[in-house]
Amino acid sequence: MTRWWPCFRTALRFALIEQARNRLALLIVVLFVPLWTTLAFTVVARTPLRFRIRAVGRTVVMDGNVLVQINGALQALSLVIAFMMFVATARSALFDQRLVRAGYPRSCLALAKCTALLLVAALVAGYTTAWMQLFWRPEQLLVLVAGMCTGALTYGGIGIVLAAVLRSELAGMFLAIMISSIDLVLQNPLINPDADSPVVRFLPAYGAVQTSVAAGGLQVVPTSCLLLGTGWAVGMAALGMAAFAVRTRTRTRTRTRTRTRTRTQRSRTAQATPTEIEQTVRVPGPAP
Amino acid sequence: MVLAGERVLRIRDVCKGYRRGPVLRGVSLDLRAGQLVGIVGENGSGKSTLLRILAGDLAADSGVVERVGVLGSCPQDSVLHQAFSVDQHLRFFQAAYGLDNLDRAFELLEQLHVSGYRNERVQALSGGTRQKLNLVLALMHDPQVLLLDEPYQGFDWETYLRFWDLAAALRDRGCAVLVVSHLAYDASRLDTLYRLQAGVLHETEQTGPEVVPV
Repeated sequence: MTRWWPCFRTALRFALIEQARNRLALLIVVLFVPLWTTLAFTVVARTPLRFRIRAVGRTVVMDGNVLVQINGALQALSLVIAFMMFVATARSALFDQRLVRAGYPRSCLALAKCTALLLVAALVAGYTTAWMQLFWRPEQLLVLVAGMCTGALTYGGIGIVLAAVLRSELAGMFLAIMISSIDLVLQNPLINPDADSPVVRFLPAYGAVQTSVAAGGLQVVPTSCLLLGTGWAVGMAALGMAAFAVRTRTRTRTRTRTRTRTRTQRSRTAQATPTEIEQTVRVPGPAP
Repeated sequence: MVLAGERVLRIRDVCKGYRRGPVLRGVSLDLRAGQLVGIVGENGSGKSTLLRILAGDLAADSGVVERVGVLGSCPQDSVLHQAFSVDQHLRFFQAAYGLDNLDRAFELLEQLHVSGYRNERVQALSGGTRQKLNLVLALMHDPQVLLLDEPYQGFDWETYLRFWDLAAALRDRGCAVLVVSHLAYDASRLDTLYRLQAGVLHETEQTGPEVVPV
C-alpha cells in the first residue's frame, strides 16, 4: 500500500496532463459547447413542448428552445468526452502495457484513468451548465450538473470501450458520433416528446436526458434516473477497465523465489515488482 | 543476487505459430550472467516473436522459458507517450520500477547525449533520440537480464559505437544481454552469435569484425 498511493498520484497527474495536452478537445469544449447551446436557444422556436419524465410520472411543459438546448448540450458533452477518452486510451495503449510489464500496479493506472474521466466530466458538465444558465434558470442547478455529468461519464466510458476494440481514431469518432446521434436524436423532444417507446429506456443517455429535463423544469429529484445514468456510466467504465486489464495482461505464470538481495538492490526497490521475481512459462504441449 | 556465470535465462523447445504457419520450431538457448549474446535472422524469421515471448508479451504454443533476475526489455518500435516529456517518462518508470532516485537514468541520458532534451516532449524528438529514450527506459533500473530488439535502429554512427560501449559495460556489471537484429555488425563484440533460421537457432562461427550474412 505504501507504494500504491505514490503510483496512483503519479498516474493521475499524468492522466490529467495527457488530457490537458489534447488541444483539439479543449478547443472543442471551449468553442463548440457555447456555440451549440447558443444556437439551440436562439434558433429553435420558443413554442412550448411537452416532455414525459417517467421516473416521477409527470409531463413537463417547457419552451422548445430550452428542451432542445438541454438535448443539444448533452450531445455536445457526450461527443467531446467520448473523443477525449477514446484518444487518450488509444494513444496510451502500448505505453500502459509497457508500464505494467515494468511493474506499474495495473489497478493504479486503471483507477487513475477513471478518476481523470470523473474530474474531466464534472468540469465540462459544470462549464456547459454555466453556459446554459446564461439563457435560463433551471429549477435545480446541481441536479442539472449531475444529469450532464452522468451523460458525459457514460460517453467517456463508451470512448474507452471503443478504444479497446478499434485502432483507428477516425473509426472511433465515427462510431461515437453514430451512437450519440441515435441515442439523443431519439430522445429529442421535438421528435419524440413522449419518449414512450420501450427501446428509448435502454439508450445510454436516457437517464441523463430524463434527469437534466427534470432538473430544468421540476422541483422533484428523479432519483431512479440519476441512478440509471450512474449505472450506465459505471457499467461502461467497468467494461473499459476490463478491456484495459485484458490488454495489459502478462503472458507468463509467475512464482516467487526467495533469495538474498544485496543492500543496494534492497534500497533501490521499495517492494517486489513483477520484474523482480523468477518468471516461468510452462506451456503443456508436444515438443516438435 | 545473481552470481557471475549463473544461468539467468533457460529456453527449451519454444514453439510458436501464426495462422500463416509455424515461426519458431523448437528454440532452445541458455543465457548466463555477464554474457552478451546476439541473434540474427532475416526479416520475418521470428526474432521479435521470440523476444516478445521472453518478455512475457506473447504466449508460446509450447516449450519452457525460465528466467531469474530483474528483466529489462527494449522493444523494436519505441514505446513512448507523445504527450509526455523525457523527464516525465523517467518519473513514470521510476514509479514502475520502484526506484528511489533517477541517478542511473540521468547517467544513461548523459552517455547517450540525451540530457539536453529532458524537458522536450517526445513528439518533438527525432527518431534516433526517441530510440535512445526507449533504451534508457529499459536500462534505468539496472536489469540482470536485458532483451534488446534492434536497439540501434535510427542511431547515427557515434551513437551506435556508444551503444556497444554501453552493452560491454553492462556485461562487465554482470548483466546478461540478448541483442536481436536482422544484421550483426561487429559480430566480434558478442560472446556468442546465433542465427535464427527456419524457426531454429544455430550457433554461428565468428570470424572477425565483419557483417554476418543472414
